[in-house]
Amino acid sequence: MHETPLIGPYRPDDVMAWGQGHTRTARQFLADVTALAELLPDRPTVLNLADSRYAFLVGFAAAILRGQLTLLPQRRAPEALRRLAGDYPGSYVLTDHDEGIEGIDVVPIQSNGGHAPWPKHLPLVPLNQVVAIAFTSGSTGHPVPNRKTWGALTAVAQATGARLGIKGGDRIGVVATVPHQHMFGLEASVMLPLMHGVALYAGRPLFPADIGSVLADVAGRWMLVTTPLHLRACVAERLHVPPRGLILSATAPLGKSLAQEAERMFQSAVHEIFGFAEAGSVAERRTIDGDRWTPLEGVRVIQDQRSCTVQAWYLPQLVPVPDRVTVEPGGAFFLYGREADQVNVAGHRVSLGDLNQTLLRIDGVQDGIFFLPDEEAGLVTRLMAFVVAPGKTSEEIQCALRAHLDPVFLPRPLVCVPSLPRNATGKLPREAVLELSRQWAGGDGHGV
Amino acid sequence: MTHSGSPVLESDLAKLIVHTLKLKVDPASIQPEAPLFGEGLGLDSIDALELALAISQTYGYQLKSSDPEIKSIFSSLRALANAVEKHRTK
Repeated sequence: MHETPLIGPYRPDDVMAWGQGHTRTARQFLADVTALAELLPDRPTVLNLADSRYAFLVGFAAAILRGQLTLLPQRRAPEALRRLAGDYPGSYVLTDHDEGIEGIDVVPIQSNGGHAPWPKHLPLVPLNQVVAIAFTSGSTGHPVPNRKTWGALTAVAQATGARLGIKGGDRIGVVATVPHQHMFGLEASVMLPLMHGVALYAGRPLFPADIGSVLADVAGRWMLVTTPLHLRACVAERLHVPPRGLILSATAPLGKSLAQEAERMFQSAVHEIFGFAEAGSVAERRTIDGDRWTPLEGVRVIQDQRSCTVQAWYLPQLVPVPDRVTVEPGGAFFLYGREADQVNVAGHRVSLGDLNQTLLRIDGVQDGIFFLPDEEAGLVTRLMAFVVAPGKTSEEIQCALRAHLDPVFLPRPLVCVPSLPRNATGKLPREAVLELSRQWAGGDGHGV
Repeated sequence: MTHSGSPVLESDLAKLIVHTLKLKVDPASIQPEAPLFGEGLGLDSIDALELALAISQTYGYQLKSSDPEIKSIFSSLRALANAVEKHRTK
């Protein structure tokens, strides 16, 4: 069985992580992982809720060494986590703060620092070991599991780094605004630095001023793993940062003019990744160079008459692409937006069918539909919902939804209506919902 | 410490919040002491980003989450108004 080392080409005293109050070397990381691995209970699956990217990585690596699967929930809302833990009996929570889920065992992630020995042999991980399950939103209303092997995560990390010109042992500090529990964050802000032996920032800067001060402090060259949303905010604030960094954006399409402005302001190249949780990162482009996506090394995008799929040695089968695609003879491809059920809100993909099912599970809701209006000015276009729930207020339904959905998916507004304009087959054509939203915008609705 | 705050600035900020985040509420109905995030208006981190941008452009005050007081600054309209009053450059 083929195995590869748990970490990339770090020397023992290379900085592996900084920020959040502590700096850790590769030597200290291995000691933290070994100590935690010995403490973990004998369970098959774990929910790693760590806020610190470094603590998350310690927990993730310890779980891998114990042969445990890390569940990467699509949503952080308490009810969603409880349901997920129910689907995987025996799950426990790893965390670096007070958050827990009622009724589920919690193990704190500790990091001790101090002097630590360097092992004679680095721990090895089989390429075919399943190390994580990433969940996607399915139209049936139940999260769909996507199993990730060590081989898949390390191959994507290597291929992405190679495409960006990162070499093992480069003096680079990776800073990310995206969460590490999501596929892109895990691949680009955790696995990429880990496999190249470069440092990662433990925190997650939100505001442009935060991003600016963290990048200014990077020892060596900075790399920012982010989204179009954060880039737009940085450009609006005219951030000043050291030049010649590297920007990697994903989760939503990046406009060419924003990419141009960002390249000018950061004096750095802006690259984009196309991927989705089922396949991981698939292709890359430098946004200002055009619309064409080039698959990562080892990945092929295949088009036949009916469908478009991704093929790679580390994927157990062909994975359908959730977007409409045309592939050129050389293998590069163009994207034309998501299939109808899938929408993207502030970089988070979700199935409208899934959201509708969640809505219909709420007490007192007779009928209801989520709807993503066409894009307008501003950073983010929010979902709306029309709900039939006699005797309930929109505040009550919002409050109930909050237990099931992350804030980004909460409808704004949620409008209570006497009935929905369903057609004879019980379907709600998008045109009818658009008309409903026009009527609502024209009058003075009662939404919140 | 409960400052009474500046009623004019509070009212301007309430309008800025409603306008920036496209909320369907009357700005005058936002309670100065009520929480803005989670419960209350139910805002999230993307709203925080949008709001921080609007505040920076309107008042020249750049919010930072590394600011030890960030939680209390965003805790209510009044707290936000007090912070803007203290740090504004325009």
